[in-house]
Amino acid sequence: MIRIETMKETDNKPTQELDKPPFFKSWKSMYWLVLGNLAFLITLFYIITRIYS
Amino acid sequence: MRLLDWIVLLGTLGFIVIYGVWKTRGSKDIEGYLKGDNSMKWWTIGLSIMATQASAITFLSTPGQAYEDGMRFVQFYFGLPIAMVIISITVIPIFYRLKVYTAYEYLESRFDLKTRSLAALLFLIQRGLAAGITIYAPAIILSTILGWNLTLTNLFIGVLVIVYTVSGGTKAVSVTQKQQMAVMMGGMLVAGFMVVHYLPESVSFGDAVAVAGKMGKMNVVDFSFDWNDRYNFWSGMTGGLFLALSYFGTDQSQVARYLGGRSLTESRLGLLFNGLLKIPMQFIILFIGVMVFVFYQFNQPPLFFNEATKNKVYATDFAPEMEALEEQHTALFNQKQEAMHGLVAALRTDDEKAIAAAQAEVQGITDASKVVRDDVKALITKATPDAETKDTDYVFISFVMKYLPAGLVGLLLAVIFSAAMSSTASELNALASTTVIDIYKRSVKKDKDNFHYLRASKLFTAAWGALAIIFATYASLLDNLIQAVNIIGSIFYGTILGIFLVAFYVKYIKGNAVFIAALLAEAVVLYCHFYTDIAFLWFNVIGCVAVVVFGAIIQFFMGQKKGELVA
Repeated sequence: MIRIETMKETDNKPTQELDKPPFFKSWKSMYWLVLGNLAFLITLFYIITRIYS
Repeated sequence: MRLLDWIVLLGTLGFIVIYGVWKTRGSKDIEGYLKGDNSMKWWTIGLSIMATQASAITFLSTPGQAYEDGMRFVQFYFGLPIAMVIISITVIPIFYRLKVYTAYEYLESRFDLKTRSLAALLFLIQRGLAAGITIYAPAIILSTILGWNLTLTNLFIGVLVIVYTVSGGTKAVSVTQKQQMAVMMGGMLVAGFMVVHYLPESVSFGDAVAVAGKMGKMNVVDFSFDWNDRYNFWSGMTGGLFLALSYFGTDQSQVARYLGGRSLTESRLGLLFNGLLKIPMQFIILFIGVMVFVFYQFNQPPLFFNEATKNKVYATDFAPEMEALEEQHTALFNQKQEAMHGLVAALRTDDEKAIAAAQAEVQGITDASKVVRDDVKALITKATPDAETKDTDYVFISFVMKYLPAGLVGLLLAVIFSAAMSSTASELNALASTTVIDIYKRSVKKDKDNFHYLRASKLFTAAWGALAIIFATYASLLDNLIQAVNIIGSIFYGTILGIFLVAFYVKYIKGNAVFIAALLAEAVVLYCHFYTDIAFLWFNVIGCVAVVVFGAIIQFFMGQKKGELVA
C-alpha cells in the first residue's frame, strides 16, 4: 500500500469537494460556525470575568 | 470503597471492555484493523478525538488546577478550534487523497523513505514513553489515596486496555471511547451537581459563583500580555494553536481517529465537533473545581490533600510541629466561617462598601491560611525530602472519596479509569500501526500477505502494551519522571512538526534538504537541552523553526534538482 507519487499529485491545492457538509451549503460556512462559536465563547467568558471580578 | 462502589466500578469497566471486544470481533484484514474499515461516523470520530486527548490526569488535575488558580487555564484551549479548521482545510484532504494508514506514510510521498522513517521513529520513542506515563500517573494517585498496590493498579489498567485494543484494533478503540466519554462526562456532571448540593443551605448557587468571583477564581479571560504568564488570551491563541496543530495534525494517536472516518466529510465533521465542544468541556471541568473550592470555604479542607504524605510526616520526629500547624489551620478555618457568611450576606445587599470590607476580611484569613500551608510544605520537605509537596492533583479525588455517597465513588473512579484506558488505547493502537506500516511492512518484511500484517499488528499492539505496563511499573524508581517524559516529548515534537509544516506548506524544500535539516534541528534541540537553561517547552518551537530555516538554507545551496523528490 506504499505509494510514491509525484509532487503534482500531492500538491497542497484545495481538494475537489465530493461531499457537502450537513446543514450548510459549503464547508466555509461550517468553518465560520466553529470560529464564530469560539468568538462567542471568548465574549461570554469575558463578560463572566467582568461581572464576577 | 464500599461494595456498591466496586460493583459500579467493575461493572462499568467490564461492560465497556466486553462491549468493545464483542462489537468489533472478527477483524479479518489490516484495513479493518488499523482503519476500522473506514466505517466511523462523525460523532464517533469526534468523541474518540476528545476521549483520546482527555487522559485520567485531565480529570484528576484540572479541578485541582481550578481550585488553586481559578478558571484561567481554559484559555490554553483557545487556539484549538482554529487548529481544527486549519487541519480540516489543509491536512485531512491530503491524507484522504493518498489513502494513508499513518501520518508518516504521507512523508514518503512528499519527501522520501528516510524522512518518513525518521519521523516515525521519533514518534515511536516519544509516544512509547508517554504510554507508560498515561498508565502510571493515575495509578500512583489512586494507589496513594486508596491504598491499592501500585503494580496491580498498573496491571489492571494496562491489561484491560490490551484485551480490547488487541482484539478489535482501531474500531474497538473508537467504539469503546464513545462509552468512555459518556461515563466521563456523566460522572463529572453528577460530581458537579453533588458539590453544589453539598453547599450550606444558606448559600445558593448564585452566591457560590459570586463568592468564587470575589476570591479571584472566576478569572476566565485575561487580555493583558505578559511573557511570564502561562495562561492568558495571547498564549492560548498562539501557543495553544501551535500545540493543537502539532498534536492533531502529526500525532498518529489522533490522526488514526479521523483516518477511520467513513468519508472526508465525516472526518472533517469529527474534528470540527471537537473544535465546538472542547472548550465548553474544559470549562465545565474547571468550574467543578471552582465549586469544590467554594465548598471548602464552608467545610474544613484537609491541611494537605495528599493524606498519605502527611501521615509519613506524623511518623517522624516532626509530628508535634505538624500537629501545631493542624491546630492553626483549624483555628483559621473557624474564623473564616463567620467571615464567609458575612461575605455572602454582603453580596446580597449589593452594598459595595460592605462587600469590600467582607472581602478584605476573608482575604486576610485566606492569606494567613496560605502561610500555614506553605509551612506545611516546608515541613514535609524537611521531614521527608523525597516527598512531592504539590497536592493539587489530590484535591478532587479526596473530595470524591470523603463526601460522595456509595455508588457515586465507584462511578467517579470509573471516570478516571475510563480516561486512562481511552488515552492508552489510542496510544497503543497508534504505536502498533506506525510500527507495522512505517517500519515493519515498509523496511523489514515487504511482501507478506494481509493476514501476516494483521497478526503482526496485533502482536505489536500487545508488545507496546506490555512495554507500557513495564515502564509504568518501574516509573516510580525514577525521580521526577513525568517531567522527564515531557522533556523527551518536547525534544522530538518540534522536529516532527517542522517536518510536517515543510511538507504541507513549503513546497520549495525537498526530501534530502528536510532530512538533513531535521537531523540538524534535533542536534540544536539536544544542544539546548544539555548546554543551556532554556525551558523545555521552548524546544518545541526551536525544533520546528530550525527544520524550516535549515531546510530552506540547505535547499538553496543544493538547488532544486538535487533536492528533487526521490521517486
